[in-house]
Formats: sequence, structure tokens, C-alpha cells
Amino acid sequence: MFRNLRVRREPQKFAPDPLQVSIDEIISDASIPVSIRSINNLPDNAKRRLYRALIPIGLLTRFRINPRSWKGPDGSDQVDLFAKPESGLVNLSIWNGEDRDDPIFTIELEDNSLNGIDLNLLVLSDPDAPRFQTDFDETGARTEFGTVRRHLDAEERAMNAGLAPGQTRAGLRASSEVFSHLESFLTLLAHHAYFLEPLSYASAWVFERRGFAYVRGHKLMDEIHEGFQPEGRLYRQLDESTSFRAQDHWNSVRGRAWAIHDGILDAMDARWDGLRMIKQVGRNAGADTYPGGEY
Amino acid sequence: MRSQTTRAAELETLATFRDFIDEFCLLSGVGDDACHDLKLAVDEACTNVVTHGYAGMNPGSIMLALDFEPQLMTVEITDFGHPFEPSEPEAPDPEATLDDPGRGGLGLYFIYQTMDEIGYRSGEEGNVLTFIKRLED
Repeated sequence: MFRNLRVRREPQKFAPDPLQVSIDEIISDASIPVSIRSINNLPDNAKRRLYRALIPIGLLTRFRINPRSWKGPDGSDQVDLFAKPESGLVNLSIWNGEDRDDPIFTIELEDNSLNGIDLNLLVLSDPDAPRFQTDFDETGARTEFGTVRRHLDAEERAMNAGLAPGQTRAGLRASSEVFSHLESFLTLLAHHAYFLEPLSYASAWVFERRGFAYVRGHKLMDEIHEGFQPEGRLYRQLDESTSFRAQDHWNSVRGRAWAIHDGILDAMDARWDGLRMIKQVGRNAGADTYPGGEY
Repeated sequence: MRSQTTRAAELETLATFRDFIDEFCLLSGVGDDACHDLKLAVDEACTNVVTHGYAGMNPGSIMLALDFEPQLMTVEITDFGHPFEPSEPEAPDPEATLDDPGRGGLGLYFIYQTMDEIGYRSGEEGNVLTFIKRLED
């Protein structure tokens, strides 16, 4: 039993490096976490079998996509799997119809530097909902979800249609099902948790409700909530100078998210970056940085 | 009976945790002395997490979970900051005061004085400090 503790200065990896673990070891010890890279190094059909588990079957059948063949009713491919050997990244996209560039579902997972797994991207878009071109600016350049450049007209229309920053369409309302599949998949790989960096205030709030806690940024979320209280530092920035800074935006998750997207965190010398969230598999952290908040 | 709360890892959270433990003890019928010991141990452990575990970063979460079984109370504190590791024992300074605990601090000393078992593990799911307090009839 320890009698004293000190802070460990060197980060500790959660699992052995993929190249140090042999297939025999993985087979003989079910508790060794398996990396994305190890799966990507499997033969194509073997990794395809495993990655199938990431897509909720209900999502595929809803769009008449065969869950085994990933083909639509006319026999055409409807799912892209990007999982190159020696790469620690997997990206799965589903599209409806013919437009591969307008996916209804995208999930991207990647091995992180501590041999844990990051959820880089999760997009769920309703193909029947109106599309707003917030992902490209007026010149056709990618906005990277509005983080690099912005298409203000499209953003304003998206906001008025009830979308959050970074969205191009309304969601599919399937995130609960997707997270359930993701956790089953990660349990299969013997991982105990996964990580992500929330794109916006609205996504952080949604991930709290899905059971995530914060590795970094819980205090910032509390400060943001405090700042949006009447006469708080962020509340005072809601001066109607742009449509994203409407006065009533203090009182909803989406309103706050658009105001933050428009740069009002400058008022508290803060920026929307560096937040990192963790989900322990099978456990809901119960974090709630906007008690009683409405979306 | 089990209950859990998750808050930002900052010193203001300690008061919230004390209230949370008070309420839990009241509901589960844990006596005042044991409840006081639990609050002291949680205070010490969380102070370490806030001041050292999350040093140099925008603090993340700290999770407090309490589990009551007849004659046994288990406390689990989870954080996601820098992990701790065992080091050489260092006796508390007898001249130190509570406000200025001097070399090595008194945190673990107090926890050992009031809890029956202590465990610590660090991994993908965070850093988890566990105390067990045996309760008298």
C-alpha cells in the first residue's frame, strides 16, 4: 500500500504500442486493448466485419441499405470505409442516393498518443431536411465547420432554422443509438473510455447529456454559464450587433453556442479550444454545466 | 445505496462535495463522526487533485461517487488530470499547522487516520482514488 503520492510528470500510455502486441498476445489475453491500427492491419474482409459493428443496423435499414453488403436497393455502394493498413484512423461514411459528398452519417476514430481512442468526428444529417452551405464560404473554400472561415449568410439561415454551429442539416436523432454501438465496439476492443474535443458549446452540452465528463474545460463551461447570467460578462456582449448576438441568446444552448461561435468569449479572455471530453464506457458522468438549460 | 456527482475541479467544489456527503449520510443513516471523517478525507484528496492533478490546465471534471452498504462506506474520486504515483514516505512535520502543512503535506496522513482502506489506480478511464470506511453499529 502506498503511503505518499506525487504527481507523475511523464504521461503514461493506456495500452502497449500496437507494434509491441502480437496477434497471439491479443488472442491469449482478452484484456489487452486493441488499437485501430491493429484492426486496420487485418485483411480487408476481417476489418470490415469488425467495423460493421460501428453502424447501427436501424440506420442502414431506414435508408434501405443492406447491413452486410452495404449496398442500396439498386446494388450500388452506400458506405465508404477508409481504414488503411499502418494507419491509426478509421472513417466510415454512409450516403443516401448518389451524392457521396453529402453523407448522412460519418464517424471517425483514431488512436491517440496515449494509445487510447479519440472520436474525431460524428456527423448525423437528415437528408430530408433543408441543407445550409455553412461548410463552404462564398468563394467555395471549406470552412472546416466554421472554425477556419465563415459563410455568414448560410450560418444565419441555419441558425434561424434551428441548427447549431457546424451543422449543415438537422440531425438524424440517432446519436444515442450510435454511442451505444460505439461503446459495444470499444468493449470488444477492451477499451474502457474514449475521448473527443467538442466542436461547439452546443455539442459539449449534448455530450454531457450522453454521459461525458471533461478532461479539460469543465471550469470554462461553468464560467460560460456564469457569464451568460443577466449582467454577466457574456450577457453584456449580446448587444444585437450581429444576428448571432441577439439578446435572448443567453437563455438557450443554441443561442449561447451561436454567440460563442461569433467570438464573444473574447470578453472573458477565453477561446473555444482546448476542451477535451471523456466518456467512460458504461458510465454516465452526470456533468451538468447548464442546469435546466434548454436546447 | 449509491450516489454520484460530477463537478469542475476547483476549490469551490469542495463545499459542494461536503454538502453532498452530508445529504448522503443523512439519507443512508451514517453517523456524524463517520460523516465528518468522510468529509475530511474527501476534502484532502480533492484538494490534491485541484492543486496538483490539474495544475497548468483548464481544469476538467472531478467525480465523487458514494456507495453505502450496511457497515461499509466506499468513496470513489475520479479525475482526468495528471496522475499521481507512489513516492517515498515522508512523515508529516510535527511543527506544521493545518493552514500550513509544511513538507509533504498532511493530506494522505489524514486520510490514513480516518479510512480503513485506500486504493489508487490510473488508466484510460481516469485516475481513481478509493477509500473504504467500516462503520460501527
